[in-house]
Amino acid sequence: MDAALSPNGRRLLRVLFFAVVVFLYAPIAILLLFSFNDSVLPTFPLSGFTLTWYRQFVHDSELRGALETSALVAVLSSVGAVLLGTLASVALARRRFRGRAAVSAVLLSPLVIPYVVFGIALLLLFHTFGVQRSVATVVIGHIVISLPYTILVLVPRLQQIDVELEEAAYDLGAGPFSTFRLVVLPLILPAIFSAFLIALTTSFDEYAVASFVVGTRITFPIYLYGALRFPSRLPEVIAVAVVVITVSLLVVIGAEVGRRRVERRLGVIDPV
Amino acid sequence: MGRGEGQLKRPRLDLATPGLLGLPLAWLAAFFIVPIAIVGAYSVDALSIVPGKHPLTLDGWRDLLHGSVYLGLFWKSMKMSLVVSGVVVVLAYPLAYFLAFSGTKRKYVLLLILIAPFLTSYLLRVLAWKVILGSQGVVNTFLVWIGLRSPDDPISALLYSRFAVMLVLAYIWLPFVALPIFVSLESLDTRLLEAASDLGATRWQAFLRITLPLSLPGIVAAFLFIFIPTVGEFVTPSLVGGTSGYMYGNQISDLFGTGFPDWRTGSVLALFLLAVVVPLTVVFARVSRTERVAH
Repeated sequence: MDAALSPNGRRLLRVLFFAVVVFLYAPIAILLLFSFNDSVLPTFPLSGFTLTWYRQFVHDSELRGALETSALVAVLSSVGAVLLGTLASVALARRRFRGRAAVSAVLLSPLVIPYVVFGIALLLLFHTFGVQRSVATVVIGHIVISLPYTILVLVPRLQQIDVELEEAAYDLGAGPFSTFRLVVLPLILPAIFSAFLIALTTSFDEYAVASFVVGTRITFPIYLYGALRFPSRLPEVIAVAVVVITVSLLVVIGAEVGRRRVERRLGVIDPV
Repeated sequence: MGRGEGQLKRPRLDLATPGLLGLPLAWLAAFFIVPIAIVGAYSVDALSIVPGKHPLTLDGWRDLLHGSVYLGLFWKSMKMSLVVSGVVVVLAYPLAYFLAFSGTKRKYVLLLILIAPFLTSYLLRVLAWKVILGSQGVVNTFLVWIGLRSPDDPISALLYSRFAVMLVLAYIWLPFVALPIFVSLESLDTRLLEAASDLGATRWQAFLRITLPLSLPGIVAAFLFIFIPTVGEFVTPSLVGGTSGYMYGNQISDLFGTGFPDWRTGSVLALFLLAVVVPLTVVFARVSRTERVAH
């Protein structure tokens, strides 16, 4: 007998689960449907198939500029967050030091700040020191936001790695840098990749903080938010939405599948 | 499992610890802690956008605490956020339970299907609901099309309402919230449930006395993961909330906007929000941790 679920309970939960999945994907499906609809207003009944909206956004230079800016911000801030996060994670997972709990609380503290508060705080910082808002100011903010996520991914991974591997490397005469590069880094590479991807998607999608510190070169979410206020641009935005959502779904699922495969090959996770 | 629990036995690199932590901590000090301190300075006029010298003042704080409209707005946002967080956790729990205990081989695939929408664009998912709920939107025109409503009488309360804000926030956070609950249920030792059943407990009793208490850390984490961002939310309400869905976060954002900037009041409101959210988080986190230690 199954102590956790009765057969009827399992059936009921399965129905609930798939009902929720439908609820989650239906709005996305509706966007997909209307992205091909030949009408400025997304209304029923549908009025015919068109690719106009897709063609329109491909030729929209403002949109392309915003996508490029966002890609730049996302890459720079992810590299920054992963670098800082790796340093911090190695210290948290491998070193004994006083005030470890306090340090880890500080490193994770950006998780508990409402973004509106952080956004205005950064705005005031840059204003106080007379720093022009630009791509760099957005990157700075996004590194702060992504840093705790990279640590949450990397520390558990580092803790799974046998410390004796590192001790063996030390005993064989490797210095701290070579030990890290030759022993630790290859083992945490999949986790670093995951952390990088999380930081990348977080930054690419981040509106709240960016809205306070963005300069004249706007990011994609800022562009989107502006476009959402003009009904005539709605169909084009819907087409962009479909492309962005599809690409991000593919990247996320592909990365997750790839990571599991690599980690299994490295033998660092128990096969599930 | 758990091979590398401890730290290095011979910490040859102890001197290097500051080297490892220096950069990340400096970054957070410069771009996270100092900015919040500056907000504090603005809230008492130690810094100000108005040029000239200012005496320190607690006027901003006094105005907030003495029955201003801001407090009312704060409670409204707290209520909305608590309801959304509660509903979403209650809805996500059975989903996580299903994944953890149904014995399906594809639970990680199903988990990924559940979470994937969360990893796509936030603004675009809000956009989807704007398209669906608008008075010329999918729901209304669909109802007209199948003859359930006349075209002159759309359900206008769908969009630009408190309901719309709460629905969209719930939609956005639901996929993510199942994750922490799933993790806490996954780590539960099912032998406990078998033992309970051997001793004559029904499934419900076993659930209420074993599973639920043991998954409390996951529930608390899930709740906080929604509560913190939603209580200060301003993007969703500004897109689907209209005036009745206006939240505390909108007020803060507007006070720093281009219309009628009032940085002192805005700073006070921001710090007040922080002063409520942070202690709440600490208390909750501690409760869930003692819970974990106790078992």
